[in-house]
Amino acid sequence: MNDIWMNRLSEYLDGELDSTERAALDAHLATCGVCFATLGELKRVVARAQALEDSQPDKDLWPRIRARLTPEHGSAGVGGARQAATTARRRFTFSVPQLLAASVALVLMSGGAVGIAMHQQPSNTPAPAAARLHERGMVAAASWTGTTDAAIADLQATLTQNESRLDTTTVRIVRQNLAIIDRAIAEARIALQKDPGNAYLNLHLADTMRRKVELLRRVNDIAAQS
Amino acid sequence: MPRQVLEDTLTADSIAADTALAASGDGSAFERLYRTHVARVHTLVRRMLDADEADDVTQDVFIRAWQKLSTFRGESAFGTWLHRLAVNVVLARRKSVGVERGRFLSEDAPIDGMSGKPVTPELSMDFEEALARLPEGARQVFVLHDVEGYRHEEIARMLGVVPGTSKSQLHHARMALRRHLDR
Repeated sequence: MNDIWMNRLSEYLDGELDSTERAALDAHLATCGVCFATLGELKRVVARAQALEDSQPDKDLWPRIRARLTPEHGSAGVGGARQAATTARRRFTFSVPQLLAASVALVLMSGGAVGIAMHQQPSNTPAPAAARLHERGMVAAASWTGTTDAAIADLQATLTQNESRLDTTTVRIVRQNLAIIDRAIAEARIALQKDPGNAYLNLHLADTMRRKVELLRRVNDIAAQS
Repeated sequence: MPRQVLEDTLTADSIAADTALAASGDGSAFERLYRTHVARVHTLVRRMLDADEADDVTQDVFIRAWQKLSTFRGESAFGTWLHRLAVNVVLARRKSVGVERGRFLSEDAPIDGMSGKPVTPELSMDFEEALARLPEGARQVFVLHDVEGYRHEEIARMLGVVPGTSKSQLHHARMALRRHLDR
C-alpha cells in the first residue's frame, strides 16, 4: 500500500494522467503484481457502481408532498377552467412539439373548458398566433400534431389487429372512450382554428392526444397479454 | 416506426407533456412526474446522505421542483433538470447539517475501518451497504463521479473543494469498496 503508484491507479483508470506519468505507470504495472491486481479490482468497483439500480422508497411519499404543494402553484386535480386561468398567468419555457401522448377522466373534466376557451375573446394583442405562443416558449399545434397523428394511427392499426383478443365488453368501453377523446380532440382543433395562439387550447389538445395514445397503448398491452 | 422507438418517443413526449401541464398548475400531471422519477431521486438522496434522511429530503426535492417548474427551460430533459436540482438540495442539506462529521478524509486516513482486513464471503456486506458506510465526503464524491457521471471539476465546484481532493477521495472510496465487491 506504500507503493507510490498505488495512489495513482484511479487517475490512471480514469485517463487523467499525462502521457509521461501514464507511460511510467504502464511500465510499473508490467512488473508489480499487486498494483496490477488492484487495478483490476478498481475496474470492477467502477463497473459495479455503474450497474447499481434505483429502488423505490419504502413508503409512498406523494401524500405528504401533495399536502405541501402551495395553492399558488395549483393543486392536484385542478379543473380545466382553473387551469386555464393559471396557464394564462404562468410563463411557459418549454416547447409544445413534445407535448404528446394520454385517462379519459381529465378529458371528461376538461372538455367543457374548451367551450369556455372558445367563448372567450381571442387575445386582443395584434401579434400573430405564432408570435404569441413563441413568447411563451410554445409552438403552434399545427406544426406538431402530424407526428402524433402518425403515432396514433400506428397504435390504432395494432389495436385493430388485436381487438379479437379482447372480450366484447372491453371493446365496447374502449370504443366509447376513444369516441369521447376524439370528440374532445375535434373540438380543440376547431377552437384552435379560431384562435391558434391560445395557450390553453394548445395544451389541452396536446394533453388530450397524449391521453389517446396512453389509452391505446394500455389496451394494446392488455390485448397482447390475453 | 419500430415499436421500441415509438415507445421511447411516446414516453419522452408523455413526460414533456406532463412537465408542461405541471408548470401550468396541474397537480395530477406533477404526480405522474413524481411517480416516474421518485425512485431515481430517492436512491440518489439515500446514497448521498443517511438513509433516515432520504424520505424528507426527497420530499423537499419535489416541493422545490414544483416551485421552480416555471424556470425549467426545456433545454435538457426534465429528468436531468430534476436530478441536478436533487443534487443541489442534497448539498444544501449537507451545508445546513454542518461539518461536524469529519466530511473529508486526510490523504492517508483509513476509511471507516473498512479497508484494513480481508473480508470473508460470509462476512462480506452488500455493496450498497458498504457504500453507505463510507465517510460522507468520500461517499458523495464516489456517488457523483462513479454512479452519476459527474467530472471532478464539477464535483469540486459543487462541494467547494479543489479537484485534487475530489480525486483522492474517489480513490479512497474505490479502495475501500473493492473489498466489498460481490463474490
